[in-house]
Amino acid sequence: MSTTSTESELLVSTDWVDEHRNDDNVRIVESDEDLLLYQQGHIREAVRIDWQTDLQDQTIRDYLSKDRFAELCASKGISNDTTVVFHGDKNNWWACYAFWAFKLYGHEKCLIMDGGRRRWELDGREFVRDPEPDYPRGTYAAKDPDLSIRAFRDEVLQHQAAGKSMIDVRSPGEYTGELLHMEDYPQEGALRAGHIPGAASVPWSRAVNDDGTFKSEAELEQIYLNEAGLKRDGDTIIAYCRIGERSSHTWFVLKYLLGFNNVKNYDGSWTEWGNLVGVPIEKNV
Amino acid sequence: MIDQTSNSINKLEELKQEFDELDVRDRLEMLLDFSDDLPDLPDRYRSRREAGENRVHECQTPVYMWVEVIDGRVEIYADVPRDSPTVRGFISLLIDALFGATPADVLTVKPTLLGDLGLVEALGMVRMRGLHAILDRIKSEVQRATGEAV
Repeated sequence: MSTTSTESELLVSTDWVDEHRNDDNVRIVESDEDLLLYQQGHIREAVRIDWQTDLQDQTIRDYLSKDRFAELCASKGISNDTTVVFHGDKNNWWACYAFWAFKLYGHEKCLIMDGGRRRWELDGREFVRDPEPDYPRGTYAAKDPDLSIRAFRDEVLQHQAAGKSMIDVRSPGEYTGELLHMEDYPQEGALRAGHIPGAASVPWSRAVNDDGTFKSEAELEQIYLNEAGLKRDGDTIIAYCRIGERSSHTWFVLKYLLGFNNVKNYDGSWTEWGNLVGVPIEKNV
Repeated sequence: MIDQTSNSINKLEELKQEFDELDVRDRLEMLLDFSDDLPDLPDRYRSRREAGENRVHECQTPVYMWVEVIDGRVEIYADVPRDSPTVRGFISLLIDALFGATPADVLTVKPTLLGDLGLVEALGMVRMRGLHAILDRIKSEVQRATGEAV
């Protein structure tokens, strides 16, 4: 029987999902890096929300508008009081991204299925190739975006100049700037390599076990509080990566698993900062 | 004798038309079918694959690909994990269209292929560059094998 490796109200096990998958007020959402994974096989009751084609504005670099968010939810049979359970591939990167986007628009009941697709697969549970379920339309009134969880360029510039807390969750090679060419993610390239001066380096993957589940609270405290020196009640912490997906993952860890008061995701991340004229950059620290 | 020269170009044109007639959902379904049908990497490449040779580094998914020109015909073999069906699907589509093509035909495949297939719309722009890199790699390998200029 799988249990969550860390206690949090917002993390549920595959057992929990199995038990509640047919509840009227529960909606399982899958968000993956590979768009086709869902069609190749998904949890029977799950709907797909793609980070790129569903959650992003297609013209300007931004998340979808409030109205489009409401429409997206309604079309997936999600109403304001629906409990949405996110999961996906890649250790729930994109599930956390979608979770963050839903929190941006103030959706109250959001959960993450610990371990995502991999955990479900390791459990030997069923994936089906059925078409996406067609749920009765939801009723959704979207709220204005909650910017307390989102950092924009100018705020990050000020934050950096004031020497406030930042966390870079990319790989060590990206952080130090030795990876001039973004080896794994060329579509997210930048003209300069390195990190935002003052940002601590904590690669996102340190937060998870091999099976994609999150580490225990004690282990996470050791990493983020003891090693990286982040403070729960200190100034706002800004997390970034390349395009804001891995930093959503870390944002979730800090805010919901470790109870940090004030964490923001800088979704512009390195694809913005590394291409901005004149901003400070540090290498090889 | 079948004129192989135009077969691959025709195949690509046919695919473009087919994809054009489908809505986004069905285009993705077709891509998934291609993914299912990707031939396994032949045994003779296995040990090289395990040694990490011929990786398409530009792609975030671990893709290993061999492009050979044998008796004047292009042959393509690839290894792509099952949990990356988009990449598998695109490579499988390319193999379906270009396996047995002349080098000249491969080199004329337009860089706009992904857009022409309606896959930019279906997959989103950020996913495109990894896929573009695969097409570019095939072309550059063919170029290298034959010493032909683009």
